[in-house]
Amino acid sequence: MKKPIVAVVFGSRSTEHDISVLTALASVIKPLELSKKYTVLPVYIAKTGKWYVGDEFKKIATFQTEDLEDLLAKKQPVSLLFDNGLRLIERGRLGRDVIHCPDVVFPATHGTHGEDGELMAICEMANVPYVGCDMESSVIAMDKILAKQVAVAHHIPTAKFVSFTKIAYESGSEEWHKKINKELRYPVFVKPAHLGSSIGISRVTHKKDLANAIEVALHYDTSALVEEGVENLIEVTLPVMGNERLHPALLEEPLLKSEDFFDFDTKYMQGGKGKGKGQGMSGGQDKEAQGAQGYSRMPAELPKGLYEEAESIGLAVYRALGCSGIARIDMLIDSKAKQVYFNEVNPLPGSLYAHNWSRAGVSTVNLVEKLIKLAEERFAKKQNLTTSFSTNYLQQF
Amino acid sequence: MLRSLFSMYMRRYPAILVYMLQNTEYRALPFLKWFWRTNDFSKVTYRRSLDYTGPALMLLWALRIGMGLQILAGFILLGCWHFRGTLGAWQFGVALVISYPIVWAHLVVIPLAFGRLLIIKPRQRAAIARSEKIFRDHQAVRLAIAGSYGKTSMKELLLTVLGEARDVAATPANKNVPISHAHFAEKLTGQEDILIIEYGEGAPGDVARFAKITHPTHAIITGIAPAHLDRYKTVQRAAADIFSVGKYVDPSQVYVNGESPFTADYLKAHPAYNAYSESGVLGWKASDVTVGVDGVRFTLKKDKKILQLHSKLVGRHHVGPLALAAALADLFGLSEKQIAAGIAKTAPFEHRMQPYETAGAWVIDDTYNGNIEGIRAGTRALADLSARRKIYITPGLVDQGRETRRVHEEMGRLIAAAKPDIVVLMQNSTTQHILKGLKEAGYAKEIRLEDDPLDFYSNLASFVAAGDVVLMQNDWTDNYA
Repeated sequence: MKKPIVAVVFGSRSTEHDISVLTALASVIKPLELSKKYTVLPVYIAKTGKWYVGDEFKKIATFQTEDLEDLLAKKQPVSLLFDNGLRLIERGRLGRDVIHCPDVVFPATHGTHGEDGELMAICEMANVPYVGCDMESSVIAMDKILAKQVAVAHHIPTAKFVSFTKIAYESGSEEWHKKINKELRYPVFVKPAHLGSSIGISRVTHKKDLANAIEVALHYDTSALVEEGVENLIEVTLPVMGNERLHPALLEEPLLKSEDFFDFDTKYMQGGKGKGKGQGMSGGQDKEAQGAQGYSRMPAELPKGLYEEAESIGLAVYRALGCSGIARIDMLIDSKAKQVYFNEVNPLPGSLYAHNWSRAGVSTVNLVEKLIKLAEERFAKKQNLTTSFSTNYLQQF
Repeated sequence: MLRSLFSMYMRRYPAILVYMLQNTEYRALPFLKWFWRTNDFSKVTYRRSLDYTGPALMLLWALRIGMGLQILAGFILLGCWHFRGTLGAWQFGVALVISYPIVWAHLVVIPLAFGRLLIIKPRQRAAIARSEKIFRDHQAVRLAIAGSYGKTSMKELLLTVLGEARDVAATPANKNVPISHAHFAEKLTGQEDILIIEYGEGAPGDVARFAKITHPTHAIITGIAPAHLDRYKTVQRAAADIFSVGKYVDPSQVYVNGESPFTADYLKAHPAYNAYSESGVLGWKASDVTVGVDGVRFTLKKDKKILQLHSKLVGRHHVGPLALAAALADLFGLSEKQIAAGIAKTAPFEHRMQPYETAGAWVIDDTYNGNIEGIRAGTRALADLSARRKIYITPGLVDQGRETRRVHEEMGRLIAAAKPDIVVLMQNSTTQHILKGLKEAGYAKEIRLEDDPLDFYSNLASFVAAGDVVLMQNDWTDNYA
């Protein structure tokens, strides 16, 4: 029997390009191949935005050499055709084209031009099943401002914030500073609205540093938000899987002090072993594990009630944003006030948070299999919807 | 076919031959058997590679030079034919050039065989004769351990428990043939209280020969199973050889695993023999057995003595040997506290029901297990353990001779009885028989067939998750792969 073809799409024009390569190779392609149930088609989107296919993109070595650009220069990029499914057309030798017809698309992109809904939109247009959050929820989740607004509308607690576009800020920065200083209590966090992996995020403790932090955030994005810091902070994250029936993994607690946060370098460049900004980390206890993004405690050591509250808020956010397949909900807890705040949603968690799922009883191979099944279920359901119908509307003109 | 043929002409072919020699301990026959069984030499060093020891390097260069000279001779003959038209020279030349891999694979064993016959064997005979006198004159209790399986585990277990209060010496690792016994004897101080000697039988007459040299005062028979059937032919002949140790000790000092299926007749025929089992031994009664990945717990009672014991060994099948170790310890004068402390120190040996954690799952590594009784014990342990998912992994057993089919079908039934959620079989000649056994027993859950064991084992962490228990039984070394 012919195995279904799964196109794993990764890379892309994103600051998180390299993380996407790791997610695709280690957490998606490898387990998919180990399952022996699928034929894996690696689809690499270069930093130029060109799409390529080829088995050489299954190997990390391809991305570790300086010859990648030479390789890409020699290879023909693929063209896309939305012809009753997604078709990737590879210009073959002697003018004969090779047409790849994936049965399922597995997005493994992070950040812009992929995770933010763009790739999902292509899949929607091509009418092909794809793994993870759909276009709408990805767009909302990747917009920190929009996600918080949706959460507020669903009465889900979130830390106080002020948001603005680059144009609005540039036309009256002092007004915005005043508004921030009036409405929020320091320290505050300044974040670009759309970027993940903590890129462009600053923690500001003094008013004098605010402008600089906003400038950094707006260097990366067209809008930004300034968010009040949560006191007595415990940061937790909850991976969730499912379409209608939701399956939470373990509530995970990164091990860093309240005044710290993981920036990109800490998360990825130091293999997660570095210190959070500002302070050192402790580690090495039984329940502590080195996850994809540093040392963390799984499950988070919280009082039962608070744990359940955080889990319940995580699931509520997943539903409110219309997530499906998989997502990771980040939350902030004021441990003294026992208050859980929704922070942000990651619609395509780095490495799929496989380390957490594994602790929660879902093996890496099972995880990708389940995600493909969820994608197929959602797709099948969507096929029952009527999206066009015949009218005589044009005949009247 | 072509790939395998050309694999003999690879540059590393001489190193592969030396690797094969090294892995067969430079014995001609096993090496030649392996050589003729091998289809593709490029895959021989898949798991490990040659250890460049002095003798290995010497052989490697001898092979390289020999092969080079043969190729050179072949080309000289071809030259003679080309330039001088020497009759038949091109045929011989081509034959020499083509045949060098096969010729030197056989030539290399000749000096080894002669060396073994003329130098090593006489030296070994002298050492064994000296050891016979050492064992005969030694005042210690001499415990012989024989059986088709479980010998090394029993030896280590006794060493740990009896060593708690007595001066005990045991043959090292799995060194269990007369020359190993001789080396062991040479290192004895003469002051030991107890000597534990493992008998590694391999052919009819072996056990009696070992007993004549080591003069045992006590004998433990750990069990009978189809093993080494290439030489014994039948399990009954293997059993007769193993039980022959009973002729060399007082029958009341023979301890037999009463749970092994082929021992019942001998126990019936020799009422003085002592059976040990999960129920107990020598009047000690075992009860309250609980099994977990952290080991086995049980109570041992005799008259007014009550021992609460916990061993880190995994599986109910350890209760019998542990009870025997405790009973012998009592017999040899150890206190109850010393016995409990000794039992608590017993832990799994490497690759023998050895639990470790990966990706939150418990993996029980039983890859040194190579017989059906070990499979029975392991699968029973798997059935006893509670888990979210139970996964069973095996390539099957080797050296089962004519019993191969029967043993593997039984293995399939045993696996099915453990009710694993997933069975992973490494695809080879035994797979069909295991599948048949699984089918006969009505196993209807997931079966995975893997054709690359190394790849599967390397990626095991990707297949498991917290709450899983994985039992891996047996592993085929390169010469069986």
